[in-house]
Amino acid sequence: MSKNIIVKVEDLTMAYHDKPVLWDNDVNIIENSRTAIIGPNGAGKSTLLKGILGLQKTLSGTVEIMGKSVKQVHKKIAYIPQSNSVNWDFPTTALDVVLMGRYVHLGWIKRPKKKDIETARNALHKMGMQDYAKRQISQLSGGQKQRVFIARAIAQNAEIYFMDEPLAGVDKNTEKVIIDFLKDSQKEGKTSIVIHHDLNTLADYFDHLVILNKRIIAQGKMSETLTQANLDAADMGGGFKINA
Amino acid sequence: MLSVFLNKIFSLNFANLLNAIGLDFEILSSYTFIVVCLGTMILATVAGMVGTITVLKGQSLIGDAIGHSSYPGIIIAFMIGMSLDSVSLMIGAIISGTLAFIIIQFIDKNSKLNLDAVLAVILSAFFGLGMVLKSFIQGHPIYGKVPQGGLSNYIFGQAAFIRTIDVQLILAVAIPSLLILFLFYKEFKIFVFDEVYAKSIGLNSTVMYVLLVLITMSVIATGLKLVGAILISSFLIVPGITALQWSNRFSHVLIIAAIVGSLSAFVGTYISSVYAGMSTGPCIIVVMSGLAFISMFISPKGLLANWLRRRKYINDLSKSLID
Repeated sequence: MSKNIIVKVEDLTMAYHDKPVLWDNDVNIIENSRTAIIGPNGAGKSTLLKGILGLQKTLSGTVEIMGKSVKQVHKKIAYIPQSNSVNWDFPTTALDVVLMGRYVHLGWIKRPKKKDIETARNALHKMGMQDYAKRQISQLSGGQKQRVFIARAIAQNAEIYFMDEPLAGVDKNTEKVIIDFLKDSQKEGKTSIVIHHDLNTLADYFDHLVILNKRIIAQGKMSETLTQANLDAADMGGGFKINA
Repeated sequence: MLSVFLNKIFSLNFANLLNAIGLDFEILSSYTFIVVCLGTMILATVAGMVGTITVLKGQSLIGDAIGHSSYPGIIIAFMIGMSLDSVSLMIGAIISGTLAFIIIQFIDKNSKLNLDAVLAVILSAFFGLGMVLKSFIQGHPIYGKVPQGGLSNYIFGQAAFIRTIDVQLILAVAIPSLLILFLFYKEFKIFVFDEVYAKSIGLNSTVMYVLLVLITMSVIATGLKLVGAILISSFLIVPGITALQWSNRFSHVLIIAAIVGSLSAFVGTYISSVYAGMSTGPCIIVVMSGLAFISMFISPKGLLANWLRRRKYINDLSKSLID
């Protein structure tokens, strides 16, 4: 596997109102990796993603994605926000949501074409959701909703996936679909950066790890980074023992 | 332009057809009715569509606050210009509505108060100021000399006072507003549905907010004379709420809201023309709200449908348990 750094974060400091959330962090995400970000509650995991993607103000620091600023690479990055950021009462169907993944390629004003709809249908199919294309988004289960949002990222045809706890509140089957998708994407040369909360599955699902607790505790290859000492340093060691 | 259109309408012989379905041709073909009806229908169409977006964005009450807050602008514009000219009063309404909106946003961002509390304070402060100024200029040695009877019409609305210039003003707001909605349909959709994702693909949400507020503000300012500061927000909110009961597709919801708005405007204007003493704005709103209530009960997403679904579910469940 290549060792190129695809996302490079330097000296990133962010605050929420007057409370500092992230302090002077350097993060390097390796190209073509499946990187998990873990940390205790309030460690600033979501804030870190938002800071990288330019969705939240940063106090200091620089972010480079594929050597460019985030504004230059919108088409190359797909963000899957936590599901509570979505307006569930909005009148729209599953297919329609996936089609939104094509908007970034269309630019202002232009409408999606037949080809875009085709792409969206294929993406739904990949997530096993083709039978739900016309379903109102709020009528889907938690797992189905999550699959629709991943299908939207697929339709976007990005190089890097940023996911904020995609496995939170989904069924076992969906969890498998999502992880298979991450592994397939890796084979296609793509990179994924995923906030994860289950230490038991961590080493099976991902190959790189960032441990965060306001500051970066450790980062690197899974085998070298997932150590009891690192977990303890992040206040995550309690009750969890690494099987050596 | 309008008169050519009106002549055309007069020349068509609908009379028998209309009388046959119980509509009074005399009223329908009167110049006043046509002007008022055109004005209210166009206004309700735009307001319904724009309002659907604000409803979905969870900002229904902001329209209400802006509506009330534009009233002092009308009085101040009158005091400066000493005339009841529609255009200058409308500009006054826009300025004071915008000011209220900016103050609301500022307080909301910089304090820990809930938005509804902020809205309530600003709404009553501005509307109160308007009422104070209005009673101040009544019988005032300088302002009292100018006829100011029209000013109270902006509180409850007085559609009968609508003239061709007002319809032209409404059109001047409606056409660009609808054009913006049509052109940026896709952008509005993703902005309302998933703002975080919209930002992540580079959509400037501030631009979308400004566009939305601009349109809302102009619709409110032009609608004040017809419907009044107190009731104008229903034009924005009610058609959207009705339409949301009937469809799961954003485009359809917008079209239904437009239809609900214009249909209510037509029926309301007609009723107020047939029966003496009924004001047009409130009549339209009663019709609109009636449609909203009916929809809440009988629409596919309504109470009745929900109740039937639940009963069917329980029946099926108990059957399968017996088997």
